[in-house]
Amino acid sequence: MRRRILAGAAIALIGAATFVVAAPAEAHVVPSTTIELDVHESYVTATLTLPETDLATASGIDLTSAGLSDSDEAAITEYLEEHFAVTSDAGDWTVSIADIGSTETEQWGSTPFEAVTAEATITPPTGVSPRAFTLDYDAIIHQVVTADVFAILHSDWETGELESSRSLGTITVDTVTGEIPPLTVSLDSGSAWQGFIGMVTLGVSHIAEGTDHQLFLLTLLLPAPLLAISRRWTGVAPTRRAVRGIAAITIAFTIGHSVTLALGALGLPVPQAPVEALIAVSIIIAAAHAIRPIFPGREPLIAGLFGLVHGMAFSTTLSSLSLSGVQLGLSLLGFNLGIEIMQLAVVALVLPPLLVLARTRVYRPLRITAAAVTTVAAVGWLIDRVGLANPVGAWADSLGEMSPFIAAGLWVAAVVTLFRRRHHAAAAPLASMATRNEAAVSPGS
Amino acid sequence: MNRIQFNSRARASAFSVIGSAAAVALVLAGCSPSEDSIASSSSESSTVTPDSTATAASADADVVTLAAAFMATLDSEQLEALSQDYTFANASNWSNFPNDLLANGPGANSGSGRIGLQTDSLTDEQWTALENLLAAVTGSSENEGFDEIIQHLEADNYLADNGGGDAYGEGQFFIAFLGEPSDTGTWELQFGGHHLALSNTYTDGVLAGATPSFRGIEPFTTVEVDGDTVVAEQQEQEAFAALLASLSADQLSAATLSSSFNDLLLGPGEDWAFPETSEGLKGSDLTDEQKDLLLAAINTYVDDVDDASAAAILAEYESELDDTYIAFSGTTNMTEIGDYIRIDGPSVWIEFSQQGGIVLDGAHPHAVWRDKTNDYGGLTS
Repeated sequence: MRRRILAGAAIALIGAATFVVAAPAEAHVVPSTTIELDVHESYVTATLTLPETDLATASGIDLTSAGLSDSDEAAITEYLEEHFAVTSDAGDWTVSIADIGSTETEQWGSTPFEAVTAEATITPPTGVSPRAFTLDYDAIIHQVVTADVFAILHSDWETGELESSRSLGTITVDTVTGEIPPLTVSLDSGSAWQGFIGMVTLGVSHIAEGTDHQLFLLTLLLPAPLLAISRRWTGVAPTRRAVRGIAAITIAFTIGHSVTLALGALGLPVPQAPVEALIAVSIIIAAAHAIRPIFPGREPLIAGLFGLVHGMAFSTTLSSLSLSGVQLGLSLLGFNLGIEIMQLAVVALVLPPLLVLARTRVYRPLRITAAAVTTVAAVGWLIDRVGLANPVGAWADSLGEMSPFIAAGLWVAAVVTLFRRRHHAAAAPLASMATRNEAAVSPGS
Repeated sequence: MNRIQFNSRARASAFSVIGSAAAVALVLAGCSPSEDSIASSSSESSTVTPDSTATAASADADVVTLAAAFMATLDSEQLEALSQDYTFANASNWSNFPNDLLANGPGANSGSGRIGLQTDSLTDEQWTALENLLAAVTGSSENEGFDEIIQHLEADNYLADNGGGDAYGEGQFFIAFLGEPSDTGTWELQFGGHHLALSNTYTDGVLAGATPSFRGIEPFTTVEVDGDTVVAEQQEQEAFAALLASLSADQLSAATLSSSFNDLLLGPGEDWAFPETSEGLKGSDLTDEQKDLLLAAINTYVDDVDDASAAAILAEYESELDDTYIAFSGTTNMTEIGDYIRIDGPSVWIEFSQQGGIVLDGAHPHAVWRDKTNDYGGLTS
């Protein structure tokens, strides 16, 4: 049972890397080693996270001083290479350890603890598939015999299993014999098509879960049905013009993020923290524009420019998968396609009711309220992303869960509007005409 | 919030007097379920007679009577929660974790947690009936047995009030009857929660196994809770430290394990997985005084069981003392994080491990007592 709980804890830890998982501060789990595998076309990479105290006990390396010196890193590398072997029927595989680092981390149910991280590249003999091997790993547990090592599949491009946290098994001391049985890993075979579909799915879920990206685009589209006259949103643009504007904004955003997504995935370094902060800024600017026109007529340009920023953020998802060759090409295509599909779905879901509501009195308060709420959320994110965790940022993260209700609310409002308009038209055509004319002029401020 | 009462202690010792003959029965029966049934076959009547086996049966019948008395206080919903199937899956479903972590944690056990009736639903009357039952199945020594369990509940109340929050406290414990309490057949009384697991298996009215038994505690340092002093598990640590302190340099070196321990080897879920090779210093290499200290350390766990059964079990362990190993890792004080000691005999298996604080700062111990033949009353799958 302890092992099952710990395996769950380790998996939740991986999950926490992508989503915000609330872990109770009180709990009772002993920190464990995790090995997260990324399976590539011809090799496997493994991200190791080792509890520092256990590592020091087991290796004899003094890790009490803050930070890791060059000699610490060398000693840890040497230690890990001694305790990490991978084999298959084809013989010994190459394991090379790099990027030794230290971090404070938390596993579900543990208190925060110091951990040492490392990246291992595991390469089979030439021509051998990297999908089946025996993991003969006993770092820490050769000495701390009550500790556990959890092997977790993080990504397997060929089967389309990306951003996964599937348990592959536990390496632990057999209490009866005192031996440490190696772990056999055997992955189902996949295909380029499965990999491509996996990337499309990843792109879709990236937007579906990326509240900030959705919010930027939607906020930019909020005033699209309106006309800007002398620094105010006044009157309703003809539908055809509104739709053209919306299309232009969406396409410009797509071009912008596609460019940097490709560049980033191909190796252009992305400063993650500033990019995340800039995304929050882009939302604030879009929200300000939705309240009062700042760049009327130049929305596509702004969408394109900020698209470049959002694309950089997208690219970190791809580059974290360390892809190359055909897989990288197909991934770029598939991931971008997924992003577009989801983006268009969001636009298709939200815009029709907005176009209807734009012709009513409620649109002005609706637009201003939405823009104000968005501004608050984006400011929360911005503060969060420059390093100050705050409740507004946490609340903003939860906005995504409400989006289906918001979309449903908009549709209900739009349907009611249409119904009333028709009802009025039937009952009192002249009065209805008057209302509509009035409504058409009034949304401006 | 404190509903724990201490009115049952007198009753507990009363049972121990009646139960003294049960020790004889247990020794005769060799603590094995199959043989127990022979021992009790002559004692289906619960009438107290001078015959020792019959007296033993009547002492155990009191467990059944008190179990029935507890059940009589419960409503149908509570009864349903209390009554569980006697299966290995249910018997082995104990843990040292707070139930919140078990029930809401990720992993295979997510969404289930402990089985049985949670103590947060108990009225004062029901608590009293439960305490009467627990007192009958546990020892009467100070800071052991029933007293120790009460201190565990108080310790968890302390955690709840000192940073632990709602996941802790006396309401977070569970009582379960696996199978129907009866003088015939087998059933298990399971009581546990954070840092505590009691599993008493009864076959034909006789205690067939008192393990696995888990005891851990945070706070380990003495605290006062509602006027009671919580010192549970300090006697255990002191007994181990006294045993190690009595060893010569050569003996210490023989007892020293090369491995390190951040936890117990055979904690929850690690059932029937005893090492095939015993490590450490053998009992036959101890002086008589040292053997007394070893037996005293063992008794800090065995004494948690009702006095009569405890005497029988201790007698069995004493007879195996020469083949019982002592092994430790860390410091000999058994107070520092990483300190670990194991007592590994032909039957007895006790582990004690000091670990980092969770809610509070400083080390806190986990310990498990298992029996190599009588864990779960011998149920292996």
